[in-house]
Amino acid sequence: MLQVDRVEVRFGGVQALKGVTLDVPEGAVVGLIGPNGAGKTTLFNVITGLERPSAGRVLLSGEDVTGLAPHLRARKGLGRTFQRIEVFSSLTVHENVLAAAEARRSWSRDDADPGRTASDLLERVGLLEIEHERVDRLPTGLLRLVEVARALASQPRLLLLDEPGSGLDTTESEALGDLLVELVADGSRSILLVEHDVELVMRVSSHLHVLDFGAIIASGAPEQVQQDPAVQAAYLGTSAA
Amino acid sequence: MTTFLALAISGLVFGCVYALTASGLVVTYVTSGIFNFAHGAIGMVAAFTFWQLHIAWGWPAPVAFLVVLLVLAPLLGAVVERILVRPLYGAPIGVTLVATLGLLVTLLGLAFLVWPPDTTRVLPRFFAGHTVTVFSLVIDWNQLLVIAAAVTVAVSLRLFFSRSRLGIAMRAVVDDPELAALAGTKPERVSQLSWAMGSSLAALAGILLAPLVTLNVTDLTLLVINGYAAAMIGRLRNLPATVGGALLIGFLNQQAVGYAPPWFNDYVSPAIPMILLFLAVLFIKGERLRAGSLQGLRMPRPPSLQRSLLSGAAFVLVAGVVGSQLSPANLAIGGQGMVLGVVMLSLVLLSGYGGQVSLCQLTFAGLGAYAMAKAGGGLGGLALAALLPAAAGALVAVTVVRLRGLFLALATLAFAQAMDKIFFLHALGSGSSLEVPRPSLPGIDLQDDRVFFAFLAAVFALAAVGVLALRRRAFGRRLIALNDSPAASATMGVSATSTRLVVMALSAAIAGVGGALLGGLHGSISNNDFLLLNSCVLLLLATLGGLFSPTGAFLAAMSYALFPKFQELFPDLGQVQFLFTGLGVLALGRNRYGIGGQLADAGEKLRALRVSRVREVARAAG
Ligand SMILES: Nc1ncnc2c1ncn2[C@@H]1O[C@H](COP(=O)(O)OP(=O)(O)OP(=O)(O)O)[C@@H](O)[C@H]1O
Ligand SMILES: [Mg+2]
Repeated sequence: MLQVDRVEVRFGGVQALKGVTLDVPEGAVVGLIGPNGAGKTTLFNVITGLERPSAGRVLLSGEDVTGLAPHLRARKGLGRTFQRIEVFSSLTVHENVLAAAEARRSWSRDDADPGRTASDLLERVGLLEIEHERVDRLPTGLLRLVEVARALASQPRLLLLDEPGSGLDTTESEALGDLLVELVADGSRSILLVEHDVELVMRVSSHLHVLDFGAIIASGAPEQVQQDPAVQAAYLGTSAA
Repeated sequence: MTTFLALAISGLVFGCVYALTASGLVVTYVTSGIFNFAHGAIGMVAAFTFWQLHIAWGWPAPVAFLVVLLVLAPLLGAVVERILVRPLYGAPIGVTLVATLGLLVTLLGLAFLVWPPDTTRVLPRFFAGHTVTVFSLVIDWNQLLVIAAAVTVAVSLRLFFSRSRLGIAMRAVVDDPELAALAGTKPERVSQLSWAMGSSLAALAGILLAPLVTLNVTDLTLLVINGYAAAMIGRLRNLPATVGGALLIGFLNQQAVGYAPPWFNDYVSPAIPMILLFLAVLFIKGERLRAGSLQGLRMPRPPSLQRSLLSGAAFVLVAGVVGSQLSPANLAIGGQGMVLGVVMLSLVLLSGYGGQVSLCQLTFAGLGAYAMAKAGGGLGGLALAALLPAAAGALVAVTVVRLRGLFLALATLAFAQAMDKIFFLHALGSGSSLEVPRPSLPGIDLQDDRVFFAFLAAVFALAAVGVLALRRRAFGRRLIALNDSPAASATMGVSATSTRLVVMALSAAIAGVGGALLGGLHGSISNNDFLLLNSCVLLLLATLGGLFSPTGAFLAAMSYALFPKFQELFPDLGQVQFLFTGLGVLALGRNRYGIGGQLADAGEKLRALRVSRVREVARAAG
């Protein structure tokens, strides 16, 4: 589904990504973890086209999209949410999702009713009750769910979620986990998940990558990665400290 | 050869003046991050102040010169920084732009007030009568003074930024304010200093320019604005490139006078700086999409279609009744308010919903009026009055589509000013005017002023209902989404380019219809109706009225239309439209909702209160 091939990014003196390579297979939830400042968000920006890598390639379903504008990548089935909330603050919850569904209708041949799509998705993430609230009055946790619903409205085949669980309470984050598993269940969709809530990542991911100082230091099945001494030193070590 | 050299010298002189103003602009911009649209007006005010001290009060020229340059101008800059600019650090570009434009307009208003244009003022050349001759080329001392001033400033700026502690601190602030603060430099102090310096440089340019041209408030302001092109060639940060750009502008302008064919000098030459400004802006790298640029604006909710239709109908009805009672003179004022209201609505769409700044809405209006006149009226003419500006708007949008904020504002400023020089001045005739017919409707006599007034009210209502309908539809949501978060919009597959293109064309079309009807209302138009500075006033008033609601647009347009009345009431207040608008905008500060926004907010609060009351009552009952 997604291949990231030796991607490098530098900001002035800081090398934020040092030759990152990873794969997201079809129909899977892949976790991406790492300490603060490791480069996870930067990698998301490279994949979605908000950041140009100084070297390396990004392939979507085998097609090189490295030079493609963000909105064209979106049309190829790439969706995301943002760590720093990016909702449309002048619109209601429903309109936020509606706008994405309408956008999809305008560039795809799919002419499902955007209003229905929006309401269905809001029901799925559990926000139907507040769909007519303005988003600028909602707490951050709920805004993350608005972003998830909005991203789903574009019907992406690959969904990048940047810390969707932060700001959610235990029940909410459990529901989110269920939703993620459900989303990939039919095999048509993949998710790349950045999340600090280790429990959530462990539960839903079938595969895990660990990023530290801009480099992948471990990859593999969640249990296996958890045991990796390098990971414990870099990531779990710091979070335990 | 002698002509060439003589023109090269005068080109060099103008280039030096532009270099001074542009350097001032760059120094303030890089240090404080705020582009000072009032820079030209500061130069103008300084020149007038110099005239006041030197000619009116008879101070010796050197004393007056130094007092303006080293005391008054820096003081003005420092005060402006403290009062106007400092609260704006970190504010979105829309806010800073409106604030410095407000300052521009205020200074214009003050200058008109203090130095009414009915007397001619002349600043003699410095060292009049003294010349030197180099290879049979006569150079006067005034020219030498300008060149010497520019060289001195260039060298001192260079030394200041590379050698002095303060200059190095200033550069540090540009690179990293927080780090500079850690190192013990107060960013506010440094930026205040940069405003004082910038203001002083603008003053120097203004004073040196004034003897070369005439002492006229708007002309002088616009001349100093020519220097913006040079600053842009230096990408607003590179001083040597800025100076080079300035010299190039001066050179091209003067050589054209000598060598270009007459038509070129008639049409194109006066617009050379603005054409260069436009081109330079095009070379600016488009703003990269960035996450985390959330604006958090709270736009009022649009009313339902039913409600806006009802309000529209009521509006037309009331306007009809009022119109039947008004005196012919007041009818014209009211009508003016209606058509300007239509132009304002084009800004609600473009700036309010779309978040794009335009300083050329009246240019589109003028194109609409021109199309109407050429088409000879009728509904077909009205259609053409929408299409021609729409095409122009699309053309502008295509060229500047990567640009947002400041650079878009500069591009539209250049477009408006260039169109003024290249097109309106000739197509509409300066002094004379172009007749514009009214549209005609079967069975309705639009030649009757009262009927036409009601028609205008209906057009405004229709446009308002239309704009609100657009806001509620998919296109409106896309526009607002794009404005609220460009990054998130892109991840939904929305093409910013095509959306901005469409909204620019649409907004130009609306403005064009407004312009055509404006012409029809008065029977004719002249080039003075669509000037850049009026477009600025229009944008500022629209902001004051609240860019998000037709109500705000209507209030703003009516106050614009009423300015002549105010002028009658306060004949000694100079040009009230500048003063009132400017002061109003300065009072607005960081508030971006304007009066219309406040009204909508109050309405929403009231409704929320009522709802909670109802709930309380229901709970008590249940
Ligand atoms: N636009 C930028 N300019 C300069 N440096 C940046 C920029 N964006 C990120 N960085 C730096 O790049 C590094 C990686 O940042 P990034 O936000 O990708 O980390 P992250 O893994 O998402 O961290 P977190 O868990 O805190 O979200 C950090 O050192 C950060 O300071
Ligand atoms: Mg991050």
